[in-house]
Amino acid sequence: MRELFSGPPDLRGRPRQDRMLSSVMAAVVGYENALTAVDRMLRAKVPGEVDLVDEDLRLVIAEVRVEAEDVVSLRLSSPDGEALPRWQPGCHVDVTLPSGKRRQYSLNGDVRDRYGYRIAVRRIDGGLGGSVEMHTLTEGTPIRVSRPRNAFALINLEKYLFLAGGIGITPILPMVRAAERIGADWKLVYTGRSRSSMPFLRELLDINESKVDIRADDEVGMSTGRELLEHSAPGTHVYCCGPIPMIDAVRAEIRETGRNPLHYERFSPAPVLNGKPFEVQLARSGRTIQVGAEQTVLDAVLPEVPAQQYSCKQGFCRTCKVRVLAGEVDHRDGSLTARERETEMTLCVSRAAGDRLVLDI
Amino acid sequence: MSQPEKKIEDPDHLVLQPRDVRFDWGRTPAHWIPGEVLLAHILNVTHMILPEIERWFIRVFSAALPLISSEKVRADVRGFIGQESVHAESHQGAADHLTRHGIDVTPFTGQMEWVFQERLLRPELKGTRARKWLIWQLSGVAAGEHFTAMLGEYILANRKLDEVGADPVMLDLFRWHGAEEVEHRAVAFDLFTHLDNRYWARVITMVAIIPPLIWLFIRGTLFLYRNDPHLPPGSRPRMRELIRLLREGLLPPVMWLIKGTLKYLRRDFHPSQVGSTSAALEYLATSPAARAANH
Ligand SMILES: [Fe+2]
Ligand SMILES: [Fe+2]
Repeated sequence: MRELFSGPPDLRGRPRQDRMLSSVMAAVVGYENALTAVDRMLRAKVPGEVDLVDEDLRLVIAEVRVEAEDVVSLRLSSPDGEALPRWQPGCHVDVTLPSGKRRQYSLNGDVRDRYGYRIAVRRIDGGLGGSVEMHTLTEGTPIRVSRPRNAFALINLEKYLFLAGGIGITPILPMVRAAERIGADWKLVYTGRSRSSMPFLRELLDINESKVDIRADDEVGMSTGRELLEHSAPGTHVYCCGPIPMIDAVRAEIRETGRNPLHYERFSPAPVLNGKPFEVQLARSGRTIQVGAEQTVLDAVLPEVPAQQYSCKQGFCRTCKVRVLAGEVDHRDGSLTARERETEMTLCVSRAAGDRLVLDI
Repeated sequence: MSQPEKKIEDPDHLVLQPRDVRFDWGRTPAHWIPGEVLLAHILNVTHMILPEIERWFIRVFSAALPLISSEKVRADVRGFIGQESVHAESHQGAADHLTRHGIDVTPFTGQMEWVFQERLLRPELKGTRARKWLIWQLSGVAAGEHFTAMLGEYILANRKLDEVGADPVMLDLFRWHGAEEVEHRAVAFDLFTHLDNRYWARVITMVAIIPPLIWLFIRGTLFLYRNDPHLPPGSRPRMRELIRLLREGLLPPVMWLIKGTLKYLRRDFHPSQVGSTSAALEYLATSPAARAANH
């Protein structure tokens, strides 16, 4: 029906266009004309396509300190002693290592220290090499650091329960300090293999010894989710950071009791499981790209098509859905309808079922 | 230096991320606030208008992405787009729920689609003129986001809706959405000022979008009354009902809305001056739909 008329379909289903809405849209067109005339008169500037400006900070390592077995802290400051951008508890920075590796670290110093960011690194031998490289850095080394961003924000409450496991103490430490400063009713349960492996014990005890509960595995055994949460009053917000098994245990316990709102840092999206490499042809440019077994289509496409849309990277927000022109799709999202799946796919999680896809990008 | 602090500073520099919320409409009745038809239908208008408006936000923002030189603004815009996309789908779910209960909203949403998917983007414009219209649309998104943030703040603090027995799933939808609106309230404003910092442009757009917004709510409410088979034929919204709702604190006070709008017209306005990110994140930590997303 709609094709018969230039205007919008009628609200009461009558076979004519909606006059009121058509006049509103005519007014919009008139409005745009008027604005264009004004813009021309005032010679308004029109922004064009641009490259990203590098907003990273160029800092130097001002101090290296051993904080526990295999843990060092680095204090980063401006080479000319300038104040650094402000941050808040829960903030992290992306550090670019001399080798080009990029790693995320929580800021764990004092938010009132305007001249240094402190981060802490546990050395993991046989990891991806970032932590080992961090441990080789010495005072005076220049280092590139992003501006602080917060994915684990501390909100204003009267009561907190903080749970930290091992190096997971790093984002929690500034939170504890902030909670103590406002006189909140807080408690920290801090777990680790042994006291000697747990960084910042002295600093924490100095903040308020009576509110810190240290539970080393070699003294009291591994703490269960129930034990970690046992002294929390119902409704107390829980801030948790630690190894994945610890976060999972706390989440499982809270799922069962439903007693506590939980805050934890959301890490990068889940890795690709059971992926096979395949080929993607980009119909608009004619280019063909290879998608590795552990790579998402999105990650393979972005270097070729920087303007490609995406957001959640987990297959639910629908931002990265594109039309599929040829090839079978292995749909791994939770958001497209059966009908949409006939012609579209999400780039962030879905893959080729065969060895080739042609996409309308 | 070490004066005692009373409050945790409101969080800033947030990494914005969409949340994978789920709403189960199975137990929500068509008239989801007992005895409050007008109130429910005024709020139902949001289910009819927001999905297309938010999808328009996304189109406008996507077109603006290549113009952004700041990594921070670009990251914020990506997070914003994902959040608005989930908002649109969630309100769409509530709109479909109304249609399933006999209140067929599709003629109205069809018109919204026509306006916001086809006409408002003015695809016939080319070159710098298209680019300028894009910038004007961005100022429209910024102005619209001022209202969503204000209403988000309002719905988060409103306890009256619980008292009159509003359906908890519906309330959670409004509060989760409101909380994310408060959380990302600065993104559209920051994007507009990043690309075009003309104060008077911001003012003109704000003034221009108010009448169509009010008109949409009136038109939508009248439409719902005409098409609600659960109401006696010929039912119409009554002015004295509206006044009662305002008096009882079930709708945002008009003076508060006017004052809030005027703040936007101040030259030194920034969205961080209004609303509390802390309160928004506190709700998101307890929202049933957002908690379900953590599993
Ligand atoms: Fe929204
Ligand atoms: Fe929004």
